[in-house]
Amino acid sequence: MPPPAKPLKDYVAPYRTRATLGFLSVVGAIALGLIVPFILRNIIDGIESGEFTARKLHQLVAMFFAASAAAVFFSVLMRKILLGVAQHVEYDIRKDVFNALTRLDFAFFQRERTGDIMTKMSSDLGAIRELVGQGLLQGSRIALGFPFAFGIMFALNVKLALTIMLIIPVISIVFFFIIRVIRRRYDISQEQFSTISNFCQESFAGFRTIKGFGIEERMRGRFREQNEEYIRRNMSLTRAEEPVWPFMIFMFGMGTLLLLLVGGRLVIEGQMSLGEFVQFNQYLLYLQWPMLALGWTSNLIQRGLASWKRVQTILGAVPDIADGPHTRHDLTTIQGDIRFEDVSLTLGGTRLLHNINLVIPEGQTLAITGPTGGGKTLLVSLIQRLIDPTEGRITLGGIDLRHIPLKVLRASLGVAPQETFLFSDTLANNISLGLPAAETSPPASSSPHEEKVLWAACIAHLRDEVEGFPNQFQTMLGERGVTLSGGQRQRTAISRALALDPRILILDDVFSAVDTHTEARILEQLLPVLGPRTSILISHRVSTLRHADRILVLDEGAMIEEGSHEELVARGGYYADLDETQRLEARLEEGAS
Amino acid sequence: MNEHLESDMPSRLFDKRLLRRLIVYAYPYRGYMLLALVLTLPLTLLMNFLPLLIKRAIDDALVATGLDAATRIAELTSIAWIFLSIAGVVVFLRYAQGYVMSWIGQKILFDLRADIYAKIMRLPLRYFDRNPVGRLMTRVGSDVDAMQRLLTDGLVGLIVDVFTILGIIGYMIYLSPRLASILLVLLPLLFISLVYLNVKVRQAHREVRKRQSALNSYLQEMLTGMTTIQLFNREETTRRGFNGFNQRLRDANLYSVKWFSLSFPVTEIQNALTLSFILLVGGHALLTGEHGITIGVLIAYLAYLRDFFRPLEDLSEKSNVLQAAMASSERVFGLIDEPEFLHDPAAPAPLDRFKGKVEFDRVRFAYNHEHWVLNDVSFTIEPGQSIAIVGATGSGKSTIISLIARFYDVQQGSVRVDDRDVRDYRQSDLRRHIGIVLQDPFIFSGTLGENITLFNPAVTRERMVEAARYVNAHTFIENRPGGYDAPVLERGAGLSTGQKQLLALARAIAQDPDILLILDEATANVDTETELLIQDALHRILHERTSIIIAHRLSTIRDVDRILVLRHGELVEEGSHPQLLARGGYYRKLYDLLAHQPPPR
Repeated sequence: MPPPAKPLKDYVAPYRTRATLGFLSVVGAIALGLIVPFILRNIIDGIESGEFTARKLHQLVAMFFAASAAAVFFSVLMRKILLGVAQHVEYDIRKDVFNALTRLDFAFFQRERTGDIMTKMSSDLGAIRELVGQGLLQGSRIALGFPFAFGIMFALNVKLALTIMLIIPVISIVFFFIIRVIRRRYDISQEQFSTISNFCQESFAGFRTIKGFGIEERMRGRFREQNEEYIRRNMSLTRAEEPVWPFMIFMFGMGTLLLLLVGGRLVIEGQMSLGEFVQFNQYLLYLQWPMLALGWTSNLIQRGLASWKRVQTILGAVPDIADGPHTRHDLTTIQGDIRFEDVSLTLGGTRLLHNINLVIPEGQTLAITGPTGGGKTLLVSLIQRLIDPTEGRITLGGIDLRHIPLKVLRASLGVAPQETFLFSDTLANNISLGLPAAETSPPASSSPHEEKVLWAACIAHLRDEVEGFPNQFQTMLGERGVTLSGGQRQRTAISRALALDPRILILDDVFSAVDTHTEARILEQLLPVLGPRTSILISHRVSTLRHADRILVLDEGAMIEEGSHEELVARGGYYADLDETQRLEARLEEGAS
Repeated sequence: MNEHLESDMPSRLFDKRLLRRLIVYAYPYRGYMLLALVLTLPLTLLMNFLPLLIKRAIDDALVATGLDAATRIAELTSIAWIFLSIAGVVVFLRYAQGYVMSWIGQKILFDLRADIYAKIMRLPLRYFDRNPVGRLMTRVGSDVDAMQRLLTDGLVGLIVDVFTILGIIGYMIYLSPRLASILLVLLPLLFISLVYLNVKVRQAHREVRKRQSALNSYLQEMLTGMTTIQLFNREETTRRGFNGFNQRLRDANLYSVKWFSLSFPVTEIQNALTLSFILLVGGHALLTGEHGITIGVLIAYLAYLRDFFRPLEDLSEKSNVLQAAMASSERVFGLIDEPEFLHDPAAPAPLDRFKGKVEFDRVRFAYNHEHWVLNDVSFTIEPGQSIAIVGATGSGKSTIISLIARFYDVQQGSVRVDDRDVRDYRQSDLRRHIGIVLQDPFIFSGTLGENITLFNPAVTRERMVEAARYVNAHTFIENRPGGYDAPVLERGAGLSTGQKQLLALARAIAQDPDILLILDEATANVDTETELLIQDALHRILHERTSIIIAHRLSTIRDVDRILVLRHGELVEEGSHPQLLARGGYYRKLYDLLAHQPPPR
């Protein structure tokens, strides 16, 4: 049962104690940061007035250092705690996202590209972490630092504080105006960037055509033009963007100038001490950073929120195929007789399967053939509940498929799909995939299901070959291991399905990469094993199809022929044609060799 | 493979050879680079002059108790005016310097992109089989960005920082050598702690990246295999597995946060320490009136120290950028160094038009070593002849076409066009005079017309329409709103397979090739009406010039002057259709099979 998507704050909530400590550190760092100028003022005034003893100077400088050091200590603490909280939050979200992914159905993975999901799990989660971490950190620094610094400035001297604050509206207005210009120009430049990206994508994908017509030069010219346009737009962005920083620095310079003119006069007139003047300047500098960081922080928050929205498309996704209120949890096994009752399937407005009525008694072997796109794989996908029919129903032992717990259903199905997916793991673990997991399977030791693995591999005609490998069934597959040939992959898939000792066995075109000779040898061992099971074989080869109890021809989603090999050959339809073609093909080879 | 899995770690952090190659890209703009640096000099001098003005304001006006108030205020005002004008000049210099650097950055980006694109265009076909488009996109995209950032922000930023620091030290010494010596004495301490911290942060980041990429590859694998996982009830195990990676990543991240949290404070504490010593020493000096230190000097030092430590604050961040840029440079130069295999001859044969003679002389060719796809194939096609190549799947038919267009070079023997080896011509010349019609033609985004002219301005509208008419593509094009100017979506979405094939024919004809190569193996889903249009067009174009077609349509096969029959990479029979049929050999069987029209797979 998928938990409802939580709001982001709920992810932070478990760490509220830590976050509170973090906030206290921020408060500590800010308080000390604001106290330090007071000490500095006393030092300056003491020195300036000449009333200081060396002892007093030492004391105050020691205080100055102690307060500064304490401020630094708190600033380490606040970063460590708050950024640490963000790491924990990222971990928790990533965990939830992955768990959500394991619950999502086939349709979801058809719809979403792996690359997009990967992006959501890396850069989007990173942006969320920044939102949480820097958001908490800088947000609280700005929220607390600003008012307090201003407050103290006002307390010291209202007139001076008001004068210096003059720069704020100027900064805000200019900033507000220029940010809009920047954003607009940024969009225009990004637009051109995606034009370039698309152009490159096309050039790389259409490479054969480009080479074939020898138009590389022309494409380079077009690329140049687009690139030039991009640079032009980028420079226009630069013209808006580049002055911002110098302007801000200039405005703070103006703050200093105002302080000099107005504050200096106050000092000369004796209304203010030099120490206070310096203290004021310290606060002005203190304000500089958060002002400059404001744009950066708000950008970060916006990006983080956008990423959170994207991640929620996974967290909040509800699979169509899952156990529901009608699920009969009392079922622990299923019967092997399959019945399709008026089953139709419509996807994206296209009707892909039409009114399939089909009964496969327990223990029967059914073969399915037909042209590509005819609906063969879809039909067996329905039995695996990768997709549910849009009309009609499918029953196993008289029970609607949708009422059988998914786990029970899938534990009774052995499927070798068209595209074999092998994990970067040992061959043995790949074959024993569906068997109750060994809690922690130590690598290189023998698998707990050794016997079953060997038996299955033997039937799939894989064992002899594997025993020729140096590490035999402990051979690592995948990126850091060996790459199996197409035929070996298919036979691994067959072994994997057989190792389950399933009640229902589905082999979807698993001999396509195997030569006819090996196919015959596998079939010879496989057919007796099929015995009590309900089996479905999808194939294009008559040499496989002919062994089935019954053959079904699917074309454009409808059953167009059904019967035994002999019956169908005699009928003279699609199947008979297929038989004839393959006979001619065979003759082509034998005659000339 | 996915770009998420690419390592972010260069084999070495600082590779001189890579840097030298990178600098080559900055070289054309050395004048502007110099300008930016020349601007930096007055910029840092003036910027750091401001605290000196504050010092003067304090000493000469604020605390100059010997003078009367009016004089002090006048002095203060005049200093304020100088301050304002210097600040104004600084803004201008900053802007000018920033603008020049951005401009250089953009230029470098442009050059790098153009070079990479041009290089990719020169790469052999087999490179594309191994490298997904996404990876190439990363090269022209983020990799180039990182390299550019290193050159402009990184290198120039470094120089600016060094100037700033040296400038500040200079001013400090000028104000008070005694106080400046405090900073210089404490500097090694700062330096050691910064280096130590930087090493720690880098190590921590490297560990994070390592674990991130381990997590990513696990994730990628599980996402691809999710259906299998669910079918075999392995969700729980997979979740546990993922959680292990996730935990390890989190722990590495927490460790890196620990060191990262120290990176700003380490300069802050140094600042506080240095300042304390300066206040102490300066305070003493002031109290005793020795060493010519004034209160203004002390206050100016406050500002100088701040500016001194600022460039050092984000040192670890900067070295991260450097590391990423090095990794990017390594990948980009790796691409640029990729062997091209097919080279143009030093003195290419001049080529105006082909007469159209094509010859294979004892050609042997293999995509992978020793597995011959063509084995000792010889034949001659006279100018103007039309030839069909037939054979079972994998017999080497399309390889013949690829060799004539020199997509690959033969291992043995020779492919000749007009009595010269194809390797004697410039590749672009050769291919410009050969028209190729591909099985699944690539449709570029643009208009229908542009897909016929292939953006060649030399192809006039009349010729384009004529070509389309000639191959029966005109009608369907005219029937679309916008006609030839109708936009085509990415990858030709919205066009049927048959329409795409008609476009491909028109495209080849519009280039007016001397030799026409057509790959026309059986494809599904061409509606009967379009099929008839294609057949009719093929019939017409085959007899115009030398043409070689890989055919599956009986109508075409019967139509050509001569048929070459391939079997397992060898030429087993050749002749006209009636001749071959009469012989009753391999062709006869093949013909029976074709005539039987196998159900499409």
